[in-house]
Amino acid sequence: MGSGSYIATRILMTIPTIVLLLTFIFFFVRVLPGDPVLLHFEKQARPEVIESLRHQLGFDRPILDQYLDYMLGVIRGDLGKSMEDFSPVSEQVLSAFPATLELSIFSMIIAVIVGVLLGVVASRSYNSSADHFLRFFGVAVYATPIFFIGMLLQLLFGIGLHLFPTGGRMYPGMEPCGLSFGGTTIRTGLYTIDSILEGNPVKFILALEYLFLPSVTLGLYLSGIFLRLTRSNMLDTLFAEFTIAAKARGLKAKTVMYSYALRNALLPIFTMMGLEFAALLGGAVLTETTFSWPGLGRYLVQRIAFRDYTAIQGAVVYFALVVSLTSLVVDVAYSYLDPRIRV
Amino acid sequence: MQTTRASKGISNTTKIIIALVVVILILGSYFGYQMLTHPIDTIVMGTTDSVQSSLDPSDAYDFFGWEIIQATGCGLVDIRPGSQAGPNDFVPALATSWSSSPDGLTWTFTLRRGVKFSDGTGFTSYAVKYSIQRGIEIANPDGPFLGIGYGDIINSIETPDDYTVVFHLNFPFAPFLSLMACPASYVVNPNYAPMQYFRINYTEGNARASSPMDLGPYILTKWTRVAGKDVEMRLDANPDHWNATGGYPKTKHIIIKFYSDATALRMAIDAGEIDVAFRQITATDVKDLQKKTNVKVWQGVGAFIQYLVFQEKIKPFDDPRVRQAIAAAVNRTAITSTVFLGLAQPLYSMVPNGMAGHQDAFKQLGDANYDFVRRTLRDVGYDENHKLVVDLWYESSGHYASSPDIAAVLKSSLEASGVITVNLHGADWPTYRSNMRAESMAVYILGWYPDYVDPDNYVYPFLHSSGGSWLHDNYASQAMDQLVEESRSETDAVMRNQLYAQIQTKLAADAPLVPLFQSSAWAVTRPVVEGVVLDITQNWRHWLLYKTGG
Repeated sequence: MGSGSYIATRILMTIPTIVLLLTFIFFFVRVLPGDPVLLHFEKQARPEVIESLRHQLGFDRPILDQYLDYMLGVIRGDLGKSMEDFSPVSEQVLSAFPATLELSIFSMIIAVIVGVLLGVVASRSYNSSADHFLRFFGVAVYATPIFFIGMLLQLLFGIGLHLFPTGGRMYPGMEPCGLSFGGTTIRTGLYTIDSILEGNPVKFILALEYLFLPSVTLGLYLSGIFLRLTRSNMLDTLFAEFTIAAKARGLKAKTVMYSYALRNALLPIFTMMGLEFAALLGGAVLTETTFSWPGLGRYLVQRIAFRDYTAIQGAVVYFALVVSLTSLVVDVAYSYLDPRIRV
Repeated sequence: MQTTRASKGISNTTKIIIALVVVILILGSYFGYQMLTHPIDTIVMGTTDSVQSSLDPSDAYDFFGWEIIQATGCGLVDIRPGSQAGPNDFVPALATSWSSSPDGLTWTFTLRRGVKFSDGTGFTSYAVKYSIQRGIEIANPDGPFLGIGYGDIINSIETPDDYTVVFHLNFPFAPFLSLMACPASYVVNPNYAPMQYFRINYTEGNARASSPMDLGPYILTKWTRVAGKDVEMRLDANPDHWNATGGYPKTKHIIIKFYSDATALRMAIDAGEIDVAFRQITATDVKDLQKKTNVKVWQGVGAFIQYLVFQEKIKPFDDPRVRQAIAAAVNRTAITSTVFLGLAQPLYSMVPNGMAGHQDAFKQLGDANYDFVRRTLRDVGYDENHKLVVDLWYESSGHYASSPDIAAVLKSSLEASGVITVNLHGADWPTYRSNMRAESMAVYILGWYPDYVDPDNYVYPFLHSSGGSWLHDNYASQAMDQLVEESRSETDAVMRNQLYAQIQTKLAADAPLVPLFQSSAWAVTRPVVEGVVLDITQNWRHWLLYKTGG
């Protein structure tokens, strides 16, 4: 099967996956205790009024009718309206996606750079005190509650040193506008990119400032995984026959380390990057809460608390798409990184 | 095991690059941080609240929605800041004077002349009638018009001329002025609030289309939401506000930033990123911030109360003696000092402390009055060997602050009597509401913010068999119904207070509910901020705030 066919097949297989998952979630949320209709009435209790809203939301219809209507809507791209404020779920999800994407990208960059670098250092100084310390660091940073890391950074850099803001995504009124020309505006929603498009260095620096603490928090937390994985893979490749052969041929230590050992050790790390990135795109609840970052992480938690069925279902569709597409990209990229693998 | 010998040290090029990056970051951070100080004509406020659904007074029924409606709109009357919201504390707003007929069935308001909406349309009696009628006719099931019962209270509205509005009521309603002062009664701009629209919703990128409010001290110029949650709002001074010549609002621009939780809000005010933090900072953080010199803590009377409810369908809570015994076992001081570190007050009536008509009716039962508890429960068959079992429910998803802690303290104080065993049950808010409706919780904790500032709003929704039906506690008393109805209609302040005294005495005797505590209100600001008023109305008056420096 050529790569084009492979990609097409994988994309098509996403559809039944989403249908099955959505069906499960559709019926599962309706089993949860708690009536979302009642949540609209803090004090009102007249039965006819409550039933009127229930009718308006379609909850008095047979469950299968509700299911079929919803699925037909999803096929048309309509994820329904939030039961809390009646705004379109697709708009809500898309409005939060850029913030989540930006945080995910920067966190992943920090996680990979810190994790891989430290993993290499640990493998190079195998069984030394540096190695022991780094192994401990990798476990400790992953085991520490992420909100605790975040709060420490807020206290040190925000309140103590006044170097970075403690929360939010941008200084009020300084949101980048993107690139405007001839009545058209190109805006990605990623503040770093949009400020570059706008040509405003002040906004670019501010965007980075606001990104710094949440990205470092999340990045440090995830770096523990990459550190351990890199170290472990590096030790395997450092003692592999092809590496020993390279040393025996008199290649420089640096060349052996990076061009032979690390390069081969990166493949499993790349897979992990894909998995972690997909998870990040689902939103980092604790980091977003700690830094009041307006992303998708808190969205699903809040919607579950409100029993907002349509929003929960819409979020699940989004997550399923994200995970499917990310794993597809990883698999296809794998085939380019490792000539032994063909899709 | 052999490893490759590492190359010695980091190259000079790498060192230079790292040094440059660090310098750029530090300089950039410093430069950026300079931008974070706010000019004197701008106040940045942080909150964990958000608009629950919309800023349409026919729909909005949440604390923060009303806060913004008050900042951007105006009613016929207002309540004097810092007052007790008594009968003499109403001040003119869009109405310059008012009177009621001797039978209390007709209220006449004379309107202020020369007031204009932001689009240049003149303000007249038509807008007042339109606003109230719209709310009644839309009858939004989520909204305050049904919730408070405007349609039950108001029979018709007349506008004999452009500057006179006459309300004809179905029955004499003593708190009518309080009702007119509540944000649900604020006047909308008819051009932005069509009668046929169910709700004026948030519109992305268009603050004007997102709110029908006008005539207030501020105009909403920016409202950003992400994933249905507020991220930022901006209020700019309204040059057409009727009191602009009086110097209001005192600060031209208000920016509101929304934070995820109390800790994030505390961090922001402590770091000086915002000028004001209002709702919600925890009591622990407030106590800590009181020791700091970079912030100022303001404290005032709160109107939020919490109380126990007994499900009278479940035995033995249908017996008033059992309910009284539990009421006497409660140690309110333990709750206010342990959970709220003194930032709440014990409450001995459903009518809050500081409100006209309040009486400490439950004080006669005492706090942790274990002799009374043991004696009373012995009379109904409970003692140390056969304890009364109480299944106490609390809300566990953060709808009310510190609910698990309150429940734990209650368990401790009830069990200290030696004749009560308490089983704690937590449920998230949706489940809690469902359980309430199903009447399956024997004893449960609820909270209450007032719709309008009057004892009626702390009595009718709880003790009247119709008004209190939402509680599902199955308490019904004809005598109480009669007292409550009389108190709603009685226009003489002295007589009204006497009726409330009788209501509160009967409340302590029947004990269908047990008031627990009344929360204080607090705000934390930078030292340069002045004008904060925290009173019984719970109104956050943006227009009074000002800074004495940058």
